[in-house]
Amino acid sequence: MSSAPRLLQLRNALHRIRVAYGVEIIKAIRLRQTYVGPVLLFVLVALSPLAHPLRQDTLGDYAFIAYVTPLALNFLGYVLLLAYVGGLLATEMDRGTLRTVLLRPVHRCEIYLAKLLLGCSYSLLLTVVVALSSWGMVIAFGDMYGVQVGGVLRYTSDEMLWAYVGGALLVLLPQWAGVSLGLLFSSLTRSTGTAVSLSVGTWIALDLIKYPLGIDHLVFSTYLESPWHVFISQCDGLDGRWFPMAGYAIATSAVVALASTACGLFLFSRRNLGSCG
Amino acid sequence: MPPIVSFSKVCKFYGSHFAVGGFSLDIRAGDTVGLLGPNGAGKSTLLHILTGLVRPTSGQVSVFGKELQSNAIDIAFRMGALMERPTFYDHLTVRRNLKIHAQLAQRDVNLDRTLDLTNLTEFASVRAGTLSQGLRQRLGLAMAMLTEPELLVLDEPTSGLDPEATQDILTLLRRLVDETAVTILFSSHLMHEVEALCSHVAIIHKGRLVTYEETESLISYDLSQVEVLMDGAENAAKRLREQDWVAQVTSKPGRLQVKLKEQGSHQLNSFLVHAGYAVSGVVPRRRTLQDYFLKALDHE
Repeated sequence: MSSAPRLLQLRNALHRIRVAYGVEIIKAIRLRQTYVGPVLLFVLVALSPLAHPLRQDTLGDYAFIAYVTPLALNFLGYVLLLAYVGGLLATEMDRGTLRTVLLRPVHRCEIYLAKLLLGCSYSLLLTVVVALSSWGMVIAFGDMYGVQVGGVLRYTSDEMLWAYVGGALLVLLPQWAGVSLGLLFSSLTRSTGTAVSLSVGTWIALDLIKYPLGIDHLVFSTYLESPWHVFISQCDGLDGRWFPMAGYAIATSAVVALASTACGLFLFSRRNLGSCG
Repeated sequence: MPPIVSFSKVCKFYGSHFAVGGFSLDIRAGDTVGLLGPNGAGKSTLLHILTGLVRPTSGQVSVFGKELQSNAIDIAFRMGALMERPTFYDHLTVRRNLKIHAQLAQRDVNLDRTLDLTNLTEFASVRAGTLSQGLRQRLGLAMAMLTEPELLVLDEPTSGLDPEATQDILTLLRRLVDETAVTILFSSHLMHEVEALCSHVAIIHKGRLVTYEETESLISYDLSQVEVLMDGAENAAKRLREQDWVAQVTSKPGRLQVKLKEQGSHQLNSFLVHAGYAVSGVVPRRRTLQDYFLKALDHE
């Protein structure tokens, strides 16, 4: 086949993925469970001043953000993300809605990729909710005058903001790797519970073995936490280093995301979706 | 004219259990084909294969002259399908469900026309999850017809419906058959549905095609079995039993049911008239699809 028809096919496929993603967004917006995660994270951030008080005392309250962001995103946020992604294919296969959708001119792979994009968008939404609510809390009830050490300004508020944005962008990568792994498990079963259990179980198992085996730097879930270290260090007036952590975060996340997506696409395209299947 | 759907030696195994074994059938454009068979005959599996939901273990399926697997998208643009007990996004309205499918079909469709055609206009703003089974089936049909397909695949469209809802669906399909040139492949285990709608009947048993015929030819009159409306039926029955061209006679007040050894009622007619009976009618028995179906399965 010459390159022109291939290019046309690719363009058509991208168009169908965009359409399917649009449909996924419309469905998600009208589904109550979509809002559970963002609301829970917002409540967690809103209640955090009880454990880590905010004061308007002309000293920066970045320590509050450094406390609440990893707390909200690394554990609760990630579990909520896996729970959401676990249902994306399993629920639709169980209810049979996927069968109805696949009667339309759209490939299974395109539906799979649209759902992957939805999962990634959801992880972005959770991160944005935590970021906006934690910074919003500090703006409303605390101070942001940069970080001072011994009365000397060590980091300006802009530098702190960029360290946070850098951490947030980098932490999205292992989250997206988790999304692709969660979607792979979701494509293997018709039970959301099983899919979520497999995702969370894999995460816990990896976290249990990676330190004793000394392979933590090679495991993507390590980088759910590490990207915040730069911001946390700066909160204490210390220099944080992005490298080589950022490189490992990008590489390990990319490997997991690509491998699990390839696996998921292969298995999902071969699944029997008839009633007997 | 090349067939619009062609199954060639299609097999489907689920593990060691075979659902379809060496099934071959060609369907021409414009035909309304009823797939008849007992439960577990392989009807749904064949339709799942045709709609791409299930991959055949072996064999070839082509639709619109194109091989199914490698042209699934092109084919899906021209095909509509309703699988048994259709499922929807229950949290969305009827209109939104249809809109989503129109988006996925990449077509500008007239939703109001589809809603009107399927008598769903008054339910357009109702959430799909609150619809009765009859209305869900109608919504499924609306989705199948949404893009005005050339081929409509219907897997037991009246399954689980009450008689009124069943009649609704059948009337709708009848209208579709009469008013459009759509080719319909329709699975059912209810003979009267197939008899009422289909131009052709394919009988399937244990995953194999037993017979494929025009419906008309299967439900013709059986001239070897006649019912005679007459006075003195009891007496006439006694005399007929003595005739060597009569196989069996049963009498009821005012009527006789006669099974002849050969086709043709002229001999019976002239015998009764010459014997002086007042015959008011001789009616050959009409073969039903059920007769043919049972006979076909019996031969299996």
